[in-house]
Amino acid sequence: MIETLFGLDRLGTPGAFFAALVVGLLFGVALERAGFGSSRRLAGIFYFTDMAVLKVMFTALVTAMLGLALVQELGVLAPHQLYVLPTVYGAQVVGGLIFGVGFVMGGWCPGTAAVGVGSGRIDALVFLGGAVVGSVFFNELHSVLQPLYEWGRQPEPLVAFGMSKPLFSLVVTVVALAAFWFAERVELKASGRQTYLGTPFLKGFGLVLLFVAASLFVFPEGDAAEPHATGSPKGGLSDLALLQAVEEAEDHMEPEDLADRLVRGQQDLVVVDVRSPAEFAAFHVRGAVNVPLPDLPQYLAPWRNRGTIVLYSNGMTHPAQARDALARMGFGNVYHLTDGLTGFVERCLRPVSLRTEPLTSSAAAKVASWRAFFVEGRTPPPPAGQQEEPTPPARFPGYIQTAWLAENLTRSDVRVIDVRDSKEYTGGHIPGSLSLNCESFRGVVNGVPASLLPAETLASHLSLMGIMPSDTLVLATGDKIRDATLVGMGLLRLRHARWALLHGGIARWKAEHRPMDTTLPAVEPSQYPVPERAEGFSVDHRELLQRVRDGRTAILDVRPAAYYLGEKSDEARAGHIPGAINRPFEEDLGAGGRLRAIAELEAAYRKLLPRKDAPVIVHCRTGHQASQTFFVLRFLLGYQDVRWYGAGWTEWAARPELPTE
Amino acid sequence: MDDAIQKPAAGRTHWNPYVAGMFLGLVLVASYVILGAGLGASGGIARIAAYAESLVAPEHVRGSAYFGAWGDTPLSYYLVFMFVGTVFDGYLSALLARRQHLVVERGASFARSKRLWLALGGGVLVGFASRLASGCTSGQALAGGALLLNGSLLFLVSLFAGGYATAWLFRRQWHD
Repeated sequence: MIETLFGLDRLGTPGAFFAALVVGLLFGVALERAGFGSSRRLAGIFYFTDMAVLKVMFTALVTAMLGLALVQELGVLAPHQLYVLPTVYGAQVVGGLIFGVGFVMGGWCPGTAAVGVGSGRIDALVFLGGAVVGSVFFNELHSVLQPLYEWGRQPEPLVAFGMSKPLFSLVVTVVALAAFWFAERVELKASGRQTYLGTPFLKGFGLVLLFVAASLFVFPEGDAAEPHATGSPKGGLSDLALLQAVEEAEDHMEPEDLADRLVRGQQDLVVVDVRSPAEFAAFHVRGAVNVPLPDLPQYLAPWRNRGTIVLYSNGMTHPAQARDALARMGFGNVYHLTDGLTGFVERCLRPVSLRTEPLTSSAAAKVASWRAFFVEGRTPPPPAGQQEEPTPPARFPGYIQTAWLAENLTRSDVRVIDVRDSKEYTGGHIPGSLSLNCESFRGVVNGVPASLLPAETLASHLSLMGIMPSDTLVLATGDKIRDATLVGMGLLRLRHARWALLHGGIARWKAEHRPMDTTLPAVEPSQYPVPERAEGFSVDHRELLQRVRDGRTAILDVRPAAYYLGEKSDEARAGHIPGAINRPFEEDLGAGGRLRAIAELEAAYRKLLPRKDAPVIVHCRTGHQASQTFFVLRFLLGYQDVRWYGAGWTEWAARPELPTE
Repeated sequence: MDDAIQKPAAGRTHWNPYVAGMFLGLVLVASYVILGAGLGASGGIARIAAYAESLVAPEHVRGSAYFGAWGDTPLSYYLVFMFVGTVFDGYLSALLARRQHLVVERGASFARSKRLWLALGGGVLVGFASRLASGCTSGQALAGGALLLNGSLLFLVSLFAGGYATAWLFRRQWHD
């Protein structure tokens, strides 16, 4: 498995610049040798005099398409290692049309003009000068063009126009071969010169391309080649055996697996019976809910990409179709039950005495336990010590279970960060954990106190702690979840991919009698890289003011109600930002300072913020409390457009020109 | 500059276009495998544009919505280096193939100045459109098309649609 410079977030380093230079050198040779240092030749395609552009472009496209499919299917390259361009239909179509006009007018495109300049073409140099001017125009007109630039933007990059990838690749290959034939015919007519038409070379070349395209069908269809821009844990931790087992089963779950999960009471499992209410009333899998097919998307929305959703009917057809429909809506965690309810009864619940094939004694015991649970309705005794299964985190950032951490504590790429105060840490901590006071992530920035520090400073903190970008960081809290979520904001700024909160914190770890330690961990300083791209989650007061004025963004003030109402104030002015709604951060907390259950939070926020795709900005006094609400909304409840005004009321109140209520 | 040369002398023959295309495709695969990103040319040009504009009006660029996001050193970007490499090896390759001629390429019956105005106008449109569509023939059509991205393939189709629809207007620049 190759890690690309993009995957390592090192595209901005001198090493990457050198690599890009070398790629550029090869790119230049390819274009020049293809004859693209000549505008007359390039323009030829538009007048059917010289079809080299078509031949070279299509060959390159098909070669790269097949090559990339192969390296991904063979597991050399994981999809998340690639930078994938967003899909913005309107901008891409309008841009393409204008580009085409410019191409035929100027006789060049950017890459070929670069080679044209190298070939001494003065018109290429003038063209590039024009392209610089055109880029400046775009920058100057950006605010006016914003709607066009965003027109038709899809939530994630879309591929293959809904076809399976091998099929689409084959279609593109066939279209390319037809285009080659056409191009050769055109050139024969235009010049009478001898062309490649009918030569053994072109026939052999076409056959090879077809053969490679056809060979893509031998790979099992899965999401191996699915480019996704969003970071998901797929292909992540190598020993997430459970997750991978599920992934390899692609889209269905075996009855035995479902039975085991239900018996042991997996918390985030949703089993949906999609049959008629009458059938459901007659018999159903214990623990299942009955939801008609049309209502599925709405009912399942809270569990989108969280936990595990299993659909079943009598057979497999309906659930499989429903699963695919949900998958197209972005649900990545839906499975259907292999062989449906019929298979479940046959394989899990059929009494041992009625089976024709012999069972081992352990298998027979399993069947007995399943029958006890599903047929007789008995609940198994809780396993010793209330231990949870070591399920891996469903996604990052999120929660990590104590049992998973206990199993993986010795791994060098799993680091626990203890965010309690240093006395609590030295008095006893999870073995190997590093102590971090969340305040060390903050300081005075641009005169605003308690601001989250810039990425460079944060990176040097992590370097001293010996943390690498590929590490899985588990944030362990005492009774202040917000200390961990504030550290989380820093990790987001550093674009650290894998971090999570220890579910239940150190209190649960202790209650489960798991090991504690008072020695300090061995740390070897690392070189934590500064991410090349800036984070997009924080807003400054200028942008916030704009959002307040346009009125389309929900502003969530999470300070205690007395501060929101202006009854109490520690700041320059009392009150709140005009239009802001109040949801004090403490209301998300239950016993022991732990976050409430996700279902409770879901219900509470649904009233305040009914749409998960609508923009929200959270703030408090200094960003500390708001980091907790940010975590809840963004990572636990799946709100898509949540931003954080870290400078908070401290700054807003102290800038007299900003409006208050 | 030798004004008599409108059509460059042939120099060495070009590569078989299919071989050249295959080589280009493999360079693109290598770019994805090593860099994790595809080829690109207009991205480098836009960075140069941001740098050029900031020489004239640094504060304005810093505050602008599009270029401003690239920070104070827009040239520290991998595509700028790729662009430099492309120009350099275009130079070297053309030199070795004896195809390097300082000319304004055009049809014999078309005025040089007019050809340059068209090149400039085409450049402005292409520079603008590349930003709108976040890429050009290489960065959007080829690099995205190879990943089967719908938007990149639509860009490619639109590019040819725009080109063929207006080709007639610009045909005279190639008339001998």
